[in-house]
Amino acid sequence: MRWFVLACITAIGVAHADETCNSPYISQLIKGQEDYVYVWTLGVEGLGDGSDKLVTIDVNPRSKRYGKVISKVSTGARVEAHHMGFTDDRRYLWAGGLSDDRIWVFDVGRNPAAPKLVRTISDLGEKSGFLGPHTYYALPGRMLVQALSNMQDKGGRTGMALYNNKGEFMTSYSMPTEGGGDGYGYDLAVNPKQNVLLTSSFTGYANYMRPLGELIKDAEAMKNFGNSMVLWNLKTMKPAKVFAVPGAPLEIRWSLNPKDNWAITAAALTSKLWLVKQDAKGQWAAKEVGTVGDPSKIPLPVDISITRDGKGLWVNTFMDGTTRYFDLSNPEAPKQTYEKVTGKQINMISQSWDGKRLYITSSLLANWDKGGADNEQFIRGFAWDGSELTPKFEVDFTKEKLGRPHHMKLGTKAQRATVTGA
Amino acid sequence: MKSAALLAALVAGPALAHHFELLPPLEFVPPPPGSYELHRIMPAPEGRVLDVDGKAARLSSYLHDRITLLGFIYTTCSDPEGCPLAYRVFDALREAIADTPRLRGQVRFVTLSFDPARDTPQVMRRYAGSRVVDGGAGLRWYFLTTGSARELLPLVEGFGQDVRVSSSGRELSHVLKVFLIDRRGDIREIYSSNFLHPQSVLNDIETLLLEERKIRSRP
Repeated sequence: MRWFVLACITAIGVAHADETCNSPYISQLIKGQEDYVYVWTLGVEGLGDGSDKLVTIDVNPRSKRYGKVISKVSTGARVEAHHMGFTDDRRYLWAGGLSDDRIWVFDVGRNPAAPKLVRTISDLGEKSGFLGPHTYYALPGRMLVQALSNMQDKGGRTGMALYNNKGEFMTSYSMPTEGGGDGYGYDLAVNPKQNVLLTSSFTGYANYMRPLGELIKDAEAMKNFGNSMVLWNLKTMKPAKVFAVPGAPLEIRWSLNPKDNWAITAAALTSKLWLVKQDAKGQWAAKEVGTVGDPSKIPLPVDISITRDGKGLWVNTFMDGTTRYFDLSNPEAPKQTYEKVTGKQINMISQSWDGKRLYITSSLLANWDKGGADNEQFIRGFAWDGSELTPKFEVDFTKEKLGRPHHMKLGTKAQRATVTGA
Repeated sequence: MKSAALLAALVAGPALAHHFELLPPLEFVPPPPGSYELHRIMPAPEGRVLDVDGKAARLSSYLHDRITLLGFIYTTCSDPEGCPLAYRVFDALREAIADTPRLRGQVRFVTLSFDPARDTPQVMRRYAGSRVVDGGAGLRWYFLTTGSARELLPLVEGFGQDVRVSSSGRELSHVLKVFLIDRRGDIREIYSSNFLHPQSVLNDIETLLLEERKIRSRP
């Protein structure tokens, strides 16, 4: 019997998120050294088994396997693997692809070093009509899934689906098409203190599955991108306000500072940073607050990562392979203080809780990644000392016959679940 | 009472008990009862529990016929934002329910220990103190434990209440969760510490009552 001494952990009084960019309802923050990075990887035909897979990298510098692949779990499908998210108890990792309506659930609690595929949820399209699940956002006992497209015309009209943690469909919510809403979806993020949910908007299957070079020459198709963000009442799940945010606003990050009530996002096509905040009268509003690189060159800001104190923001731009740091001390006027080319093409960026370690992956979408020698596919680990990014390790995903690495989540040995039948 | 009048009465809300003042303020105006839906999340799990007299029963016997608010605790928990916070919220709700005639007899509380080794029925009785007695509040508060970890585990698993062993193997940690369960035994809301405020819980209870009234009024 090991039920001796117990200790409570709660989220009150600390920043409401883990490793800076997850749902505030997720338990077990990793505040020390992470042991693993889980990489959701898009399969490439003819490379290895060609399947989408969850790849686990050992990232503890004290490990003999540091910087090495220690596990890979294939799904047997190749469906534009993109994002993933932990359940609130952090025992399971949900992941999906943008060209499909299925969701794969990996158990990362029983053995965090070797995730196991335990369930495939295959009723999203049937129950909600949505296609291309993108964001997996933990609510207590539930998962809110933001999709990018729909089964009917594969355009940008889409919505969110709510599942319980067992993977049973509960209900769905369409993105608003009135009051300024354009029906598109991309990311979602909750501020529980204010009972608000914020969503952003991208584009549908018909666009994101087309080759990028072909797409940008199609003026009509280029009109089919999201230009809005929606503030929802979290409890009622009804839209409360729609903001005009042109140019496909993507990832949403609420400041983790308990004193703050604002969120920031980057619009991919306009290369602008937008702040969503209450004004002096308490009314929520969105305003443009900064520029990323030279918008005329379309650097394409993709992922962003906010520091735990809400004072800094990392921004990756895909086209020029540049990682930039913005000082967010005044979120109304972000100021770029650092930049470094970290790859020929880069996409996702994740940081440790203390901000001292950063992880960067290369792939955006199968048909949007660069070709030839520029088509690097990697995860790179860096150390950040406040003034310089120093490379620490790299895994070449092509050489290892893995595929195109995209979204990352962190794990530790300490997250091994208790409930194994005492 | 017609539903509109009932809604207005419910929106007005019960008199706020003084226990509310001891809790962090809610930073938003919660939507009024009945203006939203509480979806069925999942059925509450079944298992064998012990009351403060050591009498065994199925957990389901404590989860039907009234709206139930269930929270896991362990009596030695000392984190002020953990189990004691849940206790303060339950106390505030008990006072509000006692002051609100329409809620009397509609709600029960269940406090379930997940430390069966320490929290014996006797310990739970001491922990409960006078709370275990109705005392005219129109609300029963049950303090339950289990006979062993083996009996507890299906409940912890079934509720999705995460509990983890520390690296030493001697400590457990959990994130505070409280469950709102309807009269049929279905979980309708789960509150993490971020979400746990008596006004929100009270509105959710009133929302379930309105839903019941609406179902009963159907021809």
